[in-house]
Amino acid sequence: MYEIIEGFVEAARLIVTLDPDVMAIAARSIVISLTATILATLLAIPLGAAINFGTFPGRKSLINLIQTLYSLPTVIVGLLIFLLISRVGPFGSLRLLFTPTAMVIAQTVLILPIMTGLTISALSGVDPVVRDTLYSLGATRLQFLVNIMKEARFAILATVAVGFGRAISEVGAAILVGGNIAASSFGSSTRVLTTAISLETSMGNIPESIALGIILLAIALGVNLAITTVQHR
Amino acid sequence: MQRRTLFAVAAVMVALLLICGCTGTTSDPTPAEKQQLRIATTTSLYDTKLLERLTPIFEEQYNAEVLIVSAGTGKAIEYGQNGDVDVLMVHDRAREDAFLADGYGVNRRVFAYNYFVVVGPESDPAGIKGLQPEAAFTAIRETGMTDGSDVVFVSRGDASGTHSKEKAIWKAAGFNYSADVQGSGDWYQEAGTGMGATLAMANEKQAYTLSDIGTYLAYKGDLDLVTLVDEGDILLNIYCAMQINPEKYSDTNSTVAKDWVNFMISEDVQKEIASFGVDQYGQPLFYAARNDWEKIGVPQAEVKDPIP
Amino acid sequence: MIELENVSKRFDDKTVLDGVTARIGRGEIFAVIGPSGAGKSTLLRLVDLLDSPSGGTIRIDGIDIHAERERSLSIRRMMGMVFQKPAAFNTTVAENIAVGLRFRGAGESVIQKKVEDALDMVGLAGYGEQRARTLSGGEMQRVALARAMVIEPEILLMDEPTANLDPVSVEKIEELVLQINRDHGTTIVISTHDMYQGQRLAHRIGVLMNGGFAQVGSPREVFTLPANQDVARFVGTENVVEGVVVAAEFGSSVVDVGGVRVRARSSFSQGEEVCLCIRSEDIRIAPAAGARGLRGGNILPGTVASISPRGPFSRVTVDCGFPLSSVLSWKVVDDLEIRKGSPVSASFTAESVHVVRATRN
Repeated sequence: MYEIIEGFVEAARLIVTLDPDVMAIAARSIVISLTATILATLLAIPLGAAINFGTFPGRKSLINLIQTLYSLPTVIVGLLIFLLISRVGPFGSLRLLFTPTAMVIAQTVLILPIMTGLTISALSGVDPVVRDTLYSLGATRLQFLVNIMKEARFAILATVAVGFGRAISEVGAAILVGGNIAASSFGSSTRVLTTAISLETSMGNIPESIALGIILLAIALGVNLAITTVQHR
Repeated sequence: MQRRTLFAVAAVMVALLLICGCTGTTSDPTPAEKQQLRIATTTSLYDTKLLERLTPIFEEQYNAEVLIVSAGTGKAIEYGQNGDVDVLMVHDRAREDAFLADGYGVNRRVFAYNYFVVVGPESDPAGIKGLQPEAAFTAIRETGMTDGSDVVFVSRGDASGTHSKEKAIWKAAGFNYSADVQGSGDWYQEAGTGMGATLAMANEKQAYTLSDIGTYLAYKGDLDLVTLVDEGDILLNIYCAMQINPEKYSDTNSTVAKDWVNFMISEDVQKEIASFGVDQYGQPLFYAARNDWEKIGVPQAEVKDPIP
Repeated sequence: MIELENVSKRFDDKTVLDGVTARIGRGEIFAVIGPSGAGKSTLLRLVDLLDSPSGGTIRIDGIDIHAERERSLSIRRMMGMVFQKPAAFNTTVAENIAVGLRFRGAGESVIQKKVEDALDMVGLAGYGEQRARTLSGGEMQRVALARAMVIEPEILLMDEPTANLDPVSVEKIEELVLQINRDHGTTIVISTHDMYQGQRLAHRIGVLMNGGFAQVGSPREVFTLPANQDVARFVGTENVVEGVVVAAEFGSSVVDVGGVRVRARSSFSQGEEVCLCIRSEDIRIAPAAGARGLRGGNILPGTVASISPRGPFSRVTVDCGFPLSSVLSWKVVDDLEIRKGSPVSASFTAESVHVVRATRN
């Protein structure tokens, strides 16, 4: 019990004094997961729109498949990316393994299905009469899509938040393709909040784990709070 | 309409490339002349934080950036085999030999050694204190398999160097590892994780485990476990560093890899290794290999001769 | 301007429209009336290119609009549409109205001016910066009308625009419809299940029933000369009874309705099964004793079967062998001491009996 209290006190100290190591890990987490989220958004929105408004055979099955992939285990994604970018893998020559770029790729792949699926839900959730009205006002296909997005913007924003939340909180893929490296330069390191918590806990550094855990929680809650605030405005 | 779709797809792909490129460059602010060295290391070495002490010195001297991935020896060797790293730092002579023989590694140099210890709860329910390692393992197994006993042995179970050593001890004690030990009862549990985490687990369960002395000392402050067996030739634990064969993987960073291996056996670093941890634990975590090559049974060239 | 030729529409295995044919002239207000589910919305959606017909052709200015894929955008941009449930885009009222102009790439100053004019027109000046979602249903429908009109369409399609509105809002929308048609000469096609609205607004009415137009004509024609008994019932002819022509000569005939003989003007010949449509306003009720002779007319004795209130009037149903309903003011009901069971006579002229061929479903 004493250890836990001590852990929290030390954690508070690390956060309040802006411990450079802890802050660097938190910042790296945000940069990597945000990049992955932006990438996934750029892919998921056109993809979701194409699937939602498209008519092609197998559309229903595709949506089912995407929904199944929501629960894609992170270590499987990690393993897959690892196999692809390891030196002996097909993309080995790019030397991406154990780099933040690898983590960005893994997280993008990880959150793409859920973001695509939620984009489809967001777009199909737009009142059909809005769609009819847009067409009746003479929208081209592109104007139509842009305006549907505008109408679904809060749902899409929530999708982005979900994607970011899943990206920043996953550990399996991050540790496999990132390697949890603590290098002297910010950009070469691959130690992020989750992998650091995993390592610090295994090494018995409970205060650091708690501090990192609090920050991770704060980021996740903060993002959701921000989204909720925007949605209620 | 089709042209527009094509255009949209193209735009997305360009954006993707841009972003990839940006993350690539922004995540790599090191100027081109600053070389990156990727090392896969065994966790027992990593967890002692010896490398944390040494890397800044190296980075300064060689204007390089050291990236260390910590994994069990098995996993580390796999990274080496795949050419995902430039240098391998492990402690499993038998597998190292195979690795070298297969042509994946070159220029092995031994930089440190210490001893494995069998640690366990102070109460020592299997009564192994002071025994030879083989006898101690036999005693743990026998008490462990008696009904109602609370003797537990936590194994690394992760194909690490420590795990190899543990298997070697079981063999020396006359057991067939997979038949007589693995799966022979609840007393034998495989953690499948690093040395530090395994020690923490053994501590929680008040169990026995085999650990390298370095990691044990580094974690001792948080543990209730005590050293019960620390004598016996079989407990010798030799750490080496080697280059990944540049002929196998042409773009491994062989120059800086060579520098690192030579750095590890240099006189200054050897002194550093010999004194590492003394101020904190009252005893060194490692012994420098430089002058003890006879004692630990490795060729002199492997401890003294820098890679040309 | 708009020609519908044999237009049909099936959804999966349900046929909604089957052989709809009509012509709608330029500058005309054409009301599509019909019961719920008759396919009014479907028809309008086909015209607005929101759906494709399963068969037949729709031509605007002679162009088959569903065949011209290349021109579908410019064709769609000739039209504006107002839906039963107006869609409020989640932005300001002004931006809601500006959408169509933005689609057409209008300049900012033009947009501002036109949006202001449109707001003025629908009586919502000063509402521009308000969020559209805060408006009432009636206000939003006016915004929807402004939104459709700001693009100056040649054709305005309105799909039951007042179905969910309060009477005051209905009146405002109706005024606007007439005003738009008068001031801009816009061709307006409005669907409604309210036949009186059709009557108030339309130059011509098409009664959509059973997948097709049962009748197309001026409101007067549709109300007084319904094409069949279904139309008659739908346009509110209270008394629709079936009978057989027993005698016919010189455009007048005698029809047997369950043993009672009714004189009517018609050109049906003897033996034909027909349907008599008599508007309740045309039937007079008098105490049995006071019935006066009616030359060439009908005087049918009977007893009052029921009296039910209907606004400021009473609906009196008389059983004369078949039920006949009339509408009397309360005062008349009191003065004539009409009670349930009172013996009365119902009288009406032969001219007020509209005879159509009986249709059996």
